[in-house]
Amino acid sequence: MSNFLYLFRGGDASRIQQSPEEMQAHMQKWGAWMGGLKEKGQLVDGLPLNKEGKVVEKAGEVITDGPFAEGAEVVGGYLIVTATDLNDAVDISKGCPIFEHNGNVEVREIMSMDM
Amino acid sequence: MNVMNANNLVEHIFRHEYGKIMALLVHKFGTTQIEIIEDAIQDALIKAMQVWSFKKIPDNPTGWLLRVSSNNLIDTIRRSKKITLHQDVNEFLEGINSKNENVLLGNEINDSRLKMIFACCHPSISQEYQIILSLKLISGFSNKEIAKALLKKEEAVAKSFTRAKKKLKVHIKNLEIPVELGLRSRVNIVLKIIYLLFSEGYKATTGEDLIKKDMCFEAIRLALLLTENKYCNQPEVNALIALMCFHASRFEARIDDNNEIVDLEHHDRMKYDRDLIIVGNQYLELATRQSEEPSSYHLQAAISYCYSIAESFSKIDWSTILEFYDLLLKKQRTPIVILNRLISFSKVYGTGKAMLELKLYEQSLNYTETTLYNAIKAEFFNDLRKYDESKLALKSVIENTQNPLEKKHFEKKLELLLYNEKARTIKSRH
Repeated sequence: MSNFLYLFRGGDASRIQQSPEEMQAHMQKWGAWMGGLKEKGQLVDGLPLNKEGKVVEKAGEVITDGPFAEGAEVVGGYLIVTATDLNDAVDISKGCPIFEHNGNVEVREIMSMDM
Repeated sequence: MNVMNANNLVEHIFRHEYGKIMALLVHKFGTTQIEIIEDAIQDALIKAMQVWSFKKIPDNPTGWLLRVSSNNLIDTIRRSKKITLHQDVNEFLEGINSKNENVLLGNEINDSRLKMIFACCHPSISQEYQIILSLKLISGFSNKEIAKALLKKEEAVAKSFTRAKKKLKVHIKNLEIPVELGLRSRVNIVLKIIYLLFSEGYKATTGEDLIKKDMCFEAIRLALLLTENKYCNQPEVNALIALMCFHASRFEARIDDNNEIVDLEHHDRMKYDRDLIIVGNQYLELATRQSEEPSSYHLQAAISYCYSIAESFSKIDWSTILEFYDLLLKKQRTPIVILNRLISFSKVYGTGKAMLELKLYEQSLNYTETTLYNAIKAEFFNDLRKYDESKLALKSVIENTQNPLEKKHFEKKLELLLYNEKARTIKSRH
C-alpha cells in the first residue's frame, strides 16, 4: 500500500452558475464520497485551498499573485489516500464529484521515506 | 410539532441562508447595492461549498456566511470608487466579527427578513414581479428553478428579475416594516402573494414536482416568518398557514405515478400527509381563537380541512362544506367561489337543483372561469345521465384549457364517456 496525493483542479466556471440548492447538492456529494473513502480506510488527509495566493521566486525578488494563469489550472484542494498502486488510486478518484464541474484530478504517488 | 419538520424534506441550508444574508445585507447597505450583494453572497456560498465539503458544516453557518459575504462585499465597495460607504460599515463589520454574534444575529435576521418580505410585496410593484422578487431574494431560488416551477423560459425569468429589481430600487430605498396604521393592509397583500406562490407550486402542471413542492413549503415558511412578529401575527396569517398545510397534505395524492391528475373522488387517502393535517389543525384552532369573525382564509382552510380528514370520498361532509361556502360567498362573491360552492350544493340538494343554479351564471363568466364552469356542467350532466350534453361540455373544456395535464385528464373522461356509450348500445341490442 502507498499513499497518493489527489490535486483537484478547475471546475470554477461551472460553480459560478450554480443555484444555492445545486451547490448544496454538490457539497453533499463530496461529503458522501469522502465519507465513503474514510469508511474504507482509504482517506488519510485532505483540505481545501483558498483561491488567493502568491508565487515567490528568486528568494522573494519576484512575487506574483498566483498561482493561476487560467481558471482551469487552479488547485482547489488536495486529498491523500491510500491505495495498492497508481491504477488503484486512479480508480478510486473516478468517483470524485469534481468531474461534474469539468474539473480534473491529478493523481501522484507520494514517495515513501523508508525504502 | 414543528411544521417544517413535518414535511420530511432535506433542509435547504444554502437556499435559506442565501435569503437570510440577502435580507441582512440589503437592510444594512440599501437596495441600491443589491447586485453586488448578490455576487458577494454567491461567492461566499461557493467558498462554503468547497470548505464544507472537506469539513462538516459549522455550528453557525449563518455567521460564517455573513462574515465571508460581508468581506466580499466590502472588498468590492472599496475597489469601486463609485460607491460611497455607508457610515456605519466599520461598526457593522465589528458587529459581525464580535463574539456574541448568535444573539445579535437571531433577532436582526428575523427582523430584516420580515422587512424584505414587505419590500418584495410592496403595493407599487406588480404581482408578477412581487412573486419573482420573493422567490429570488427571500427564498434563494435560481432563475432555472423558477422557470421550471412557473413553466417559463429561463431567460424570461432573468429578464423579469432584472426589471423587478429596478422597480424595487425605485420604490424602496431602505427596508422597513410599515407603520402600524397601514400594517394590516400591507400584511394582507403579503398574504395574497404568499398564497399565490403556494398556488403556483400546487398547480397540477408538467413542471418538476420536487421544485414545485419546495415552492409550496417556501410559501408556508414565509407565512411562519410573519407569525414571529407580534404585529404581523394576525389571525389571517395563521388561517392561511392552516389552509396551505391542508392543501399540501394532499400533494402526493392528486397526481399519480404516470403524472396524471387524480380527482378528489379517486384520491388514495393513505397518501395524505397526517402530520401536515395535524399541524394545519393547530393553526386553524389558533386562528379561530384569535378572531371573532372568520376571514376568507379561515373559511377556505375549514373547507380544505373537511376534504383532508374524510376517510373516503363518500364520507366527505358536504353539508358542512356547503355551510362554509355559504359564508365564504358573503365575503367573496366571485365566480370561482360560486362555482365551487355548487359542487357541494349538488351533493347536498341533488344535481338537478344544482344544475338550475349553475345555468344562472353562464352569462357572467369570463374566459378562465368558463373551463371550470364547463367541467362542472359535464359532471352534472353525467350525473343526470344526459350524456350528449356532458360530451359537449367536456369537449369545450378540452378545447379551452391551457394546462396539458388538465387536458389529458378531461380527454380521459371523454373517452370513458364514449366507451360507456358504446357499451350501452351493445347492451340494448341484446
